[in-house]
Order: sequence, then structure tokens, then C-alpha cells
Amino acid sequence: MFNFKLVRRYLGKHLVRSLLTVASLMVALFLLCLLQAIVVSLDAGVRGAKRDRLIVQSAVSLFVDLPLNYQQKIGAVDGVESICKWQYFGGHFQDDEKGYFAQFATDFDTLFACYPEIEVVEGSKEALLADRTACIVGKSLADRLGWKLGDSIPLEATFFAKPDGSAWDFKLAATYRPTSTAMDGGMMFFRWDYLEETVKATRGETPGTGTYVFRTRAGADQAPIAATVEALFENGPQRVSCSTEAAFQAQFVSMYGNLPFFVSAIGGGVLVAIVLACINTMLMAFREQLHDAGILKAVGFTDGSVATLMLAQSLVLCGIGGFAGIGLAKLTEPVMQLMLTRFGVPYEVPAETVALASALTISIGLVAGVVPAWRARQLRVVEALRSVE
Amino acid sequence: MSQPMIRARKLTKSYLRGGETLTVLDGLDLDMDEGRFYALMGPSGSGKTTLLNLIGGLDQADEGDLVVAGADLAALDSSALARWRAANVGFVFQGFNLIPVLTAQENVELPLSLSPLSRKERREHARYALKLVGLDGREDHRPGQLSGGQEQRVAIARAIASDPKVLLADEPTGDLDRKSADQVLELLLRLNVEFKKTILMVTHDPHAAAYAGFTVHLDKGQLGCIETNPPRAVAARV
Ligand SMILES: Nc1ncnc2c1ncn2[C@@H]1O[C@H](COP(=O)(O)OP(=O)(O)OP(=O)(O)O)[C@@H](O)[C@H]1O
Ligand SMILES: [Mg+2]
Repeated sequence: MFNFKLVRRYLGKHLVRSLLTVASLMVALFLLCLLQAIVVSLDAGVRGAKRDRLIVQSAVSLFVDLPLNYQQKIGAVDGVESICKWQYFGGHFQDDEKGYFAQFATDFDTLFACYPEIEVVEGSKEALLADRTACIVGKSLADRLGWKLGDSIPLEATFFAKPDGSAWDFKLAATYRPTSTAMDGGMMFFRWDYLEETVKATRGETPGTGTYVFRTRAGADQAPIAATVEALFENGPQRVSCSTEAAFQAQFVSMYGNLPFFVSAIGGGVLVAIVLACINTMLMAFREQLHDAGILKAVGFTDGSVATLMLAQSLVLCGIGGFAGIGLAKLTEPVMQLMLTRFGVPYEVPAETVALASALTISIGLVAGVVPAWRARQLRVVEALRSVE
Repeated sequence: MSQPMIRARKLTKSYLRGGETLTVLDGLDLDMDEGRFYALMGPSGSGKTTLLNLIGGLDQADEGDLVVAGADLAALDSSALARWRAANVGFVFQGFNLIPVLTAQENVELPLSLSPLSRKERREHARYALKLVGLDGREDHRPGQLSGGQEQRVAIARAIASDPKVLLADEPTGDLDRKSADQVLELLLRLNVEFKKTILMVTHDPHAAAYAGFTVHLDKGQLGCIETNPPRAVAARV
């Protein structure tokens, strides 16, 4: 007895208005998905952090290097399994517009031991060990910049600039794809010995490393291990702070300030505005259909079915717009990924965001439709028929 | 004598207007037999529409008993009343009251969508009703594409689509020119004579009232006695 034809005709009668409402919902839900996805991905590093990894950095600042002999000392602490260096290189590839990405010097065997989520997809680990200038980059990064295996990648150095100002040369030997979205899939790693020897040869000094990352033995209690590591270097030469990977990642997120909150606030504002607009549309529709609602009741439609007719219009209108927006967000995922990975932010519209946005879409439809539906239900036939169309 | 189709006892209806109570129907009694065509006349504001709305179950009386087509209307709640309306009464209004976004065919099918008929049966019934009112070929026209007389005939087709026992018409020719009005009146008469519909038609026009077999006057909240119209008027027009 529910009349879907009427729903369609009423929405089609004011086609422009319907389309505008659909479009505004589409844009709003698209933006909401986008913002939410960014917040989630900023947060992903923190939430997806491996429980069994600890990070050692200078107690003073991330920009103060640690001596190289720390690696062995930390590695000897009971409960520490494998340990690797991470030294930020800070180089630039041609123009930054096209391709900023982070590069790190490390030892490949220990890197892979500490990061099982790095999956080599092209080339091999052997190739990385065969050539001193070999490097591995994220597959998405290589695709974005059109690099092929064997390509030479020149980087302008900043901290490690050579005296003659020439570029550092790297050879692409492998690409990786992280098996966890928490890991940035657009980084570059190259060999520590290449960094060390080049710096030694050009500057006559041995570089230090910014951080050490180590894995703890399965089931080991991390707090005492971290305390032992910090105590090791209590008296210098560099005091260290040892934190979990989650805590380490969190300091980067806080570098964005209160961005997640800010983003959520904007999202909330967009949502309120769109709900108000939808309520307005539906109240307008109700006024236009007041007389018709009276006719339907006179003909024998129940109060409930006339109310359902109103509610259905709202749900269809909001549903089309909302789900189109969500679909658009999903559809533009690859493009957004491309745009955002260069800022080191992995991008994905997660299933939970899609679920949340779908729930929001339906809620908006219900909220916008409930008042007109209620009024249609309460409407007395005699009064409705007396009203002029 | 069997139970009348419409039977009212001490029917009272008043409206509250600006703090004053306006009693429109004041203990009205009424008996209308099945298969007859009644014209209801009376001065403007005498309560004709009010009475018609009560009989059609569009509004509820304050007091009194009202039994229409065997149902005690006061005992029905809103949705039971809606179902009763769908099955037992057809309305024809002065302003046609078609749904503008639906075609003639769809308007006529509207009350049928509340019946257990299949889609195909609904379409056939609606086509038949439209044919009966002389509008075959106009099925796909929207109300806006029809003349007033045609619109009113679509409304009549809709009123009879679910084959109700009672037709209630409130000044059905009030907005029509003479020719269209006559067509509509002929149609109502035919529905009465051929299909044995009980019809109650409000009108100000004695010419229209002459189509009915009986005329009854409403004044000061009471119904006058039912007058039988000259039978030759009926006979002459069938
Ligand atoms: N909902 C209402 N609230 C207040 N007063 C009303 C209401 N409906 C009708 N009335 C009043 O009740 C009286 C009877 O109205 P009704 O429409 O039944 O008269 P009517 O006989 O059909 O008149 P007309 O011939 O002009 O159509 C009028 O005075 C009208 O103003
Ligand atoms: Mg009236």
C-alpha cells in the first residue's frame, strides 16, 4: 500500500530543488568522509603502532644525534631482540612540488628484522645488499614519480650536503608496500654504510643516528626494558629517552596541533548546516503537499501511510545525496592517496568511516523527515482539504 | 424495511470560533435508503459540508449516532475509519481534488492501491472506470492537462473505482459551466440508476437538484422533510 510512485513524482516535481538538496548532501558527506579519513590516518600511526617496538632518541631533542656505539649497548640489554638505526636524511628530489618524501639511512638486515610489515614487492633484499648506493622506496612513491628498478635517483642533500654541492646518487633496487596502513608507504631507505663512508670522505667526521628502533622479546615487559636503556646512558655522553612506538608517533600528531579536533569541529558544523537545509526542504515539501495529504486521507490512506510518504521522500532524497558523497569519497581514494602521501600521510577511507557516514546519512534523512511526517500524520482531513494548494 | 444506508440520530456538531461555540448541526436525525439519489440543499453556512464530512467519516460528530453502510462511525478509530472510507464511500468535491503529480489513470488507481487487487486488476478497474465517465484515451493526462469538467469526471471515476456503496458529492458542479455540469449530473444519475449507488449531493442549484430523486433541506442545524422530486424529471433524463 506504500506508494513509491508518489515519492518519485513529488521529488521529480521540484527537480531542481531535489537535485540541489542531493548535491549539497553529496558534497557534505564527501567532505565528512575526507576529513574523517585524514583524522583517522593521522591517528593511524599511533593506533597501528607495533606493541613490541620501542624507540630511542636523544633526551634533548629529536634533532640531536646519538653515538653509533649505542646500538651495540642497547642490543645487549636483556629482552631486546633486534635493533636498527633510523637517520633522517632530509634530501630533496628535483622540485618538491612534485615529490617530497622522507628518506632514512639504515641497515637493511636489521630494518627488515624490526619491521616485518615492510613487504618487498619489486626487486629483492639481495639486490639491496649488493650495491652500496641501493635504496628501497614505497611502491606508491615509485609509481607516482615514474621510477623503475635500476633508475638512478639524485637527491639534493641538506644536512649532509657535500662540500662541492653535488647531488647524492641512489640506485633503485627494490620497492616495498607496507602490510599495515599504519606504516607510511611512501618512504625511501638506503644503506647506512653509504651515508657513513660518504660523510667520512667528504667531511672527515662520522655521522651519528637520530633514532634507534628495537623490538622486544615476545611477551617481555617493556617498562623495565625502557628504564634500563635510559639508565645505561644516564651519565652521557648523550642521555636518551626510550618510548613506545605509539608514544613516539603521538608526538608527530601533536605537531599538527589540535588538527583532529579542528577537523571534527568543521565536520560537525557542516553536518548541522546540512541538517538544517534538509529540514527546510522537507518542511517546504510538506506545505506543498498538505492539500494532497488531505486527499490521500479522504480516499482512505491511513495517517501512518501518509506520514510514511513524507518520511520516505526525506530518506530517498538524503539517501541518494549521502551515498553519492560516500561513493565519491571511495572513488577518489586513489587520487587523494596520491596527493596526500607526499605529505607523509597515508590515506584511506576506512570501513568504519563508511559505516559512520552511512549512519549519518540515514539519520539526516530521518531527522529531516520526522517533523513533516509527524505533521502529516496529525493532519485533519477537513482542514487539509480546506487549505488552498 | 431494511436498515437505511445512512442513519443519523441526534447528530450534533459544533465549532469553537473566537471563544464562541457555533452549533452547526443540532441534534439532527436522518434516514437515507440504499440506492437513492438525494440532493442536499440549504443556505450557505448551514452545515451541508459539515454533514457530508461526518457521513463520509472525514470528521467526527460531537454527539449522536451515525451509522453508514452498516458501520457505527463513532466506534471506529482513525485507521479503521480510513479503511472503512476506502471500501465504502467515494467523494466528489467541488474543487475536484485530484493529485496533480499523478495521471488520470493513477489518480483513479489510488483508492484501488488500498484494496487487495493485483496490479493488473487495478489497472483494468481504473480503465473501466475512466471509460465509464467517457475519458478513455485520457488515461495518461495529468489533471493540469484536463478541462474542469474532465477533471471532475476523473474524480468521479476515482470515487467509484473501488465500487463503494455510497457516493458523497459536495457541490460537484459548482465550478463547472452548464454543459460540463450537465455531463457530470448525467453521470451521477446513471451511477444511481444503473449501478444502484446511494448518492448524496450537496448543491445550491435547483436545476442540479432536479436530477436527484429526492431533495432535502438543511437549515438551522436541522433537516427538513425529504421531498420526492417529480419522477418525470428523472425519467426524462435517463
Ligand atoms: N473547522 C471549522 N472551524 C470553525 N468553524 C467552521 C469550521 N468548519 C465550518 N465552520 C463553520 O460552520 C458553518 C457551516 O459550515 P459548512 O462548510 O458546513 O457550511 P455549508 O453549508 O457547506 O456552506 P456552503 O454552502 O457555503 O458551502 C459555517 O458557519 C462555517 O463557517
Ligand atoms: Mg459547503
